[in-house]
Amino acid sequence: MTLQQPALAATAVAARPARRRDQSRLFQEVGMLAPAVILLTIFLVVPFLLSFWTAMTNQPLVPRPTPVRFIGFTNFLRIFKDDLFWTSLWNVSRFTFWILPVQCGLAFATALLLHQKLPFRNFFRSLFFLPAITSMVVVCVIWGTLFQYPTGPLNQVIGFLSGGHIQPIDWLGDPDWAMFSIVLLSAWQAYGFQMIVYLAGLQGIPDELYDAARIDGANALQRFWHVTMPGLRPTHVFVLVITTIQAFKLYTQVAILTQGGPKSSTETVVHYMVRSGFEEQKLGYASAVSVILFLIVLVIALLQRQLLRRFDV
Amino acid sequence: MSDLALPTLQTEAKRERSAIGSLRIVQTASILVVALVIVSPLFMLVIASLKDDRFQILADMGSFRAFWVSNPTLSNFAEVSNLSGELAFGRYLLNSLFILACTVGAGLIVNSMAGFVLAWGSLRGRAVVLSLVIALYVIPQESIIMPLVIMVSRAGMTDTFAVQIVPWIASPLYIFLFYQFFAQLPKELFEAAQIDGASVFRIYRSIFLPLSLPALATVSILMGIESWNQYLWPILVTQTDYARPIAVAIATFFGQDSIYWDRAMAASVLMMIPILALYLAFQRWFVSSFIGSAVKG
Repeated sequence: MTLQQPALAATAVAARPARRRDQSRLFQEVGMLAPAVILLTIFLVVPFLLSFWTAMTNQPLVPRPTPVRFIGFTNFLRIFKDDLFWTSLWNVSRFTFWILPVQCGLAFATALLLHQKLPFRNFFRSLFFLPAITSMVVVCVIWGTLFQYPTGPLNQVIGFLSGGHIQPIDWLGDPDWAMFSIVLLSAWQAYGFQMIVYLAGLQGIPDELYDAARIDGANALQRFWHVTMPGLRPTHVFVLVITTIQAFKLYTQVAILTQGGPKSSTETVVHYMVRSGFEEQKLGYASAVSVILFLIVLVIALLQRQLLRRFDV
Repeated sequence: MSDLALPTLQTEAKRERSAIGSLRIVQTASILVVALVIVSPLFMLVIASLKDDRFQILADMGSFRAFWVSNPTLSNFAEVSNLSGELAFGRYLLNSLFILACTVGAGLIVNSMAGFVLAWGSLRGRAVVLSLVIALYVIPQESIIMPLVIMVSRAGMTDTFAVQIVPWIASPLYIFLFYQFFAQLPKELFEAAQIDGASVFRIYRSIFLPLSLPALATVSILMGIESWNQYLWPILVTQTDYARPIAVAIATFFGQDSIYWDRAMAASVLMMIPILALYLAFQRWFVSSFIGSAVKG
């Protein structure tokens, strides 16, 4: 006890400038973290909390003299009774059902090809990424012309390939086709990102695993099933989840090309939300839709965590 | 045993090699087919933008002439790149460029600083902040947009550049990407600098930031694409041409009854050029492994 005392006194002396240094370090760290925390709070956390509050009020877009009233879950009950909401939910589900195999399948197949030692593969990789950096608005200009009925390029190509047996399709004007047309252009636009993610996943599988499989006498197909596919499990989960979440947020292409039509066949949750909020000026109602959208995304994201945990990665 | 096994292995390898040869042809052919599907719409856009006669564009659309231009002209580009006038897309282009530069510039600083402190700082609540940031990632932009519009219009920020920049500077995703990048750098880097008496900010600025070129490039590309392609937010917060970005201008133009296809195509090509340049400039560092590491996060 007595022996330790001088030692303690010594540290106390040395600690004074050290504490000052600690303090200035703390000060700097807070200063470096502050801009991000403040911005995220103002522009993400506050509006997020507000959306829950607004969803339970009858707030209109333009302020009225009558005070905004708290109406509990009335907006949610109204939404659940609204056929158009269910239609929009059904439509984004249909969209998801199509976009997953089309976009992810194309991305996976291309990534597998580009993972081989093909000539010019870096060139192709950049080429296939081009649509992904193209604005959705520009994509709509391009595909709006491709979809022209009845003599647009797409119909001409299909007529040519089928020898005139397939009649021209009214891509965006036919309720049976409109959503699928949106799927086509969306897959074309966004698949480059998925392709890059798949390429990264493929690069992450160690070569030794392939060598070992080869020595064990596994042929190419067996190596694909027993080495590539298990190695890509987290990548598959990630790509499928991201694509599903993106699909539920479908908006721009629909707003520009079909405005939810024909006959509400391309009405989506976000388009419905923007419409009720800004065209019908029912802000509380629209906020309730946005809360439901958040809950959907949350459930999908939690599902991803569960899946990844089960795959033990 | 080995004498017997060796020849069989060799013939096996030879058979596999010839199989690979024919496989390679199939693979190259499929790649070319995919390339055709991916590129021909873009090619058609560029070709159409070089045609002056909009009726001709529509007529050509139904044939292979959609992919051919006999007398190319830049007159559409001259018309739409004006800074004033009815179809003055030059103005919108500059607006978008300004918004992109400010968003990405500020975003790189703010998000990398936060990522750095979360990775190497000594703050006690670091882990909590990090998990909060990751949790915020789940909130989609679409579901906060309603209250955000009300907030900025109450604050009198409608129709400004700031309203299109400031809300999108800080982002949970980019903070996390920087955090991950900084965290995988060796501990010795930080400790050595600390022993030399460098302050946290100095260590960040002169040691870690110069090393983080791949992260900066990746975030620049992702943020740039995101900012450049924003559509929903700017249509809600811009009412006049003052700060309107090019995406909204093209969409408005496209929605009119009599579509000037030639001008729409030229404006679209113009819109592609800057973001393409950004991508090509940083693509070298746009390492796929970086996105790959985000998969597991």
